[in-house]
Amino acid sequence: MTVKFLSLAIKALKQTIRDRRSLFFLLLFPVVFMVIFAFAFGSPSSLGTGTAPHEIAVINLDQGATVSTNNTTQHINDGASFTQLLENITYAQTDTHMFNLNNVSADQAQTMLKGRALDAVITIPENFSQAVISLANASARAETTSDIGLRVINGSTAQLPVNTTLPKQSNVTAQVIVEGDTGSSTFGVAQGLIFNILEQYRSQIQATAIRQVDATLAQNQSQSNASIDYISAAVQPLTGTRSLTLFDYQAPGLIVFALLMQVSSVAQDLTRESDRGTLGRLKLSNMRSFDLLFGTLLTWIIIAVAQILLLLGVAVALGFEWSGGANSIGLAVLVGIIGGIASISLGLLLAAFTTNERQAAQLGVLIAVPVSFLTGAFFPLPNEILGTAFGTTFQVYDLLPWTQVADALRQILIYGSGFGAVAVYVGFAIVLTAILFVVGVISYSRVRLRPE
Amino acid sequence: MHPTGSSKRNDEERRLAMFSDVRSMTEQSSDYTTDAYALEAQGLTKRYGDLVAVDDLTLQIKKGEIFGFLGPNGAGKTTAIKMMVGLLSPTGGVVLINGQDRARVPKRSIGICPQELVLWEELTCAENLIVMGDMYDLPRTVTNERVRSLLADLALSEKANVRVSQLSGGMKRRLNVALAVIHNPDIVVLDEPSAGLDPQSRLLLWDFVRSLKNKEGKTIILTTHAMEEADALSDRIAIIDHGKLLQFDTPGNLKKTIGSGDIIEMQLADREKNEAVMADLKAVNGILEINEASGKITIRALNAVSLLPEIIERVDATRTRVSDISIRENTLEDVFIYLTGRGLRE
Repeated sequence: MTVKFLSLAIKALKQTIRDRRSLFFLLLFPVVFMVIFAFAFGSPSSLGTGTAPHEIAVINLDQGATVSTNNTTQHINDGASFTQLLENITYAQTDTHMFNLNNVSADQAQTMLKGRALDAVITIPENFSQAVISLANASARAETTSDIGLRVINGSTAQLPVNTTLPKQSNVTAQVIVEGDTGSSTFGVAQGLIFNILEQYRSQIQATAIRQVDATLAQNQSQSNASIDYISAAVQPLTGTRSLTLFDYQAPGLIVFALLMQVSSVAQDLTRESDRGTLGRLKLSNMRSFDLLFGTLLTWIIIAVAQILLLLGVAVALGFEWSGGANSIGLAVLVGIIGGIASISLGLLLAAFTTNERQAAQLGVLIAVPVSFLTGAFFPLPNEILGTAFGTTFQVYDLLPWTQVADALRQILIYGSGFGAVAVYVGFAIVLTAILFVVGVISYSRVRLRPE
Repeated sequence: MHPTGSSKRNDEERRLAMFSDVRSMTEQSSDYTTDAYALEAQGLTKRYGDLVAVDDLTLQIKKGEIFGFLGPNGAGKTTAIKMMVGLLSPTGGVVLINGQDRARVPKRSIGICPQELVLWEELTCAENLIVMGDMYDLPRTVTNERVRSLLADLALSEKANVRVSQLSGGMKRRLNVALAVIHNPDIVVLDEPSAGLDPQSRLLLWDFVRSLKNKEGKTIILTTHAMEEADALSDRIAIIDHGKLLQFDTPGNLKKTIGSGDIIEMQLADREKNEAVMADLKAVNGILEINEASGKITIRALNAVSLLPEIIERVDATRTRVSDISIRENTLEDVFIYLTGRGLRE
């Protein structure tokens, strides 16, 4: 005796494989998307710039410094001042801020950076204020001593004015790290802006120090410059990545898009069964609801695995930078299956309420395509933060299981992350999928599997 | 409003009384001696809002008989059958299969061939049958044997591995029947099984249906609009209209007792005189009914042959002549039209 759900799964697989239209829709349609996206976004210069705020996070590790002036002691934190500057700065002749600062921890910032929720993460070192003081002092010393040379040339006594002391020499240097995906053009633009602002900040410190010396000595401003690079900036590529393109970001998203296309196919398939009367024939037999539902699940999981492997193969052939070896493929397939089950569940829900095959197909596409965008399958979405839990920032889009699957797939395929790194995504994806599955199964069973 | 306990009891008594009457009527009219019923409907009712699709239907179908279920379109046949096989929940009444409540009877007891072609087009003939065999928990060896014999009986052996989408309409219709009996059910419901079939296919199907009864002892419920088919195959026939049972008897008894006499069909040279001739012929003794359809006058009369000279004489008197005339026995179709009328239902 053959297990009934297996018989139904084999039947459905044969039907799908023999129906060229549905096979094209399921397998080749997403492949076509993959090819188009690879050509359009496969190079680093594929994104425009514009004047929209860049999503950044500033990790200010600056311990600050204590300065004494006129017998008063003051604790300053130049890291905080620089952060404030980044937050307030706007594009020329507009009110648009250059940066949108995300108040997150270093770990959260890393996660968001990998998910392209951030364009760059700026780390201000703990001795930043000390370095600023060093820069200011060095500038003051240079300006003060430069006047002595002038006096020698003019035949005057080479002496400092009365009551004048040189600022202390301290050669503290600090390096601001700007971290991001060096293959991303949005990072490129953000990094350029940050470097420019840091340069201006440095010049401003020097200019302030020089102005103070000139005011004290009543002398003209010279062109003195600090010889040491007290404050510098360096780019740090995102850990675990090479030069990524937008296509590398999109390829895992396109796999999720393909899985979402299953919504339409599952709904169409099940509606066809009731539309053609074959469901009625099955209901008259010993078939239980479990057999039909589990058979359907099994069929579409097999198709989901085929979709993932096919699309991954095509993506790699088109230049997708895949990390993690065979393990990451195995993990990606498992995570993809969760996305597939979520799509099957939504398909069941649609099949419960659509009256014919055409309606099921149209409604399926109508839902799957916008949801694909909402999961960030094609492009990073603006931040709509709901809250933070388990050390992770959650956005509105995270309520969709496919978003969790897409994020997990990116971590696995782009960064070669293991299960531990994506456990939170997978956990949430399973919970959300389970909710959707229960709703789908109950709706379909009540509407379609009971006697009319 | 809910019926009171007393009115409920009255309803039940009325239902049982009617059930008893119909049982008595069918037993008297039947040639069968067995009193074992394969299927019994008691007060079966289905309402959709104000519309009563099936109205208190009570009938018994004996084991091993071919039961013809006739009625115009929308009379309630398919609704009644769906309730009998469990695809539709009745608003009222019960269905007994082999004396047991239908819900307690194993599903494999019934096989249904729906009016529509209910097939998986992408699968082959054999695959369609195997899927249904699996659904009825048949061992694969039994299924394979059933597939082989059914395809042979229905002249589809050569198409065993051909996809349904590539079959002709007649082949699909035959496969539709095979799917209803793959699990060897005791009761087979055939809803318009020969619709759209050519004469050869129809005769093959009739032989198959007869063999189900004669060789395998199955009970067959046959709904059809083809009166010739119902007449040729059915042991007993129930005619329903507006959801109500009108008559229930053997085809022979129906033809004898309903619409008795023979049928004279006559065409006049001048059709404009049809009304005048019909009005005149109503006065003739022995003419029971006279109608006009498609320009042809149909007369039902006792001792029709002896009336022919008078009929022709009266036609001549209206200054026209008979261009064509024939006389035939009363048919099931005449009975059907007599009971259900000529008005279109859809």
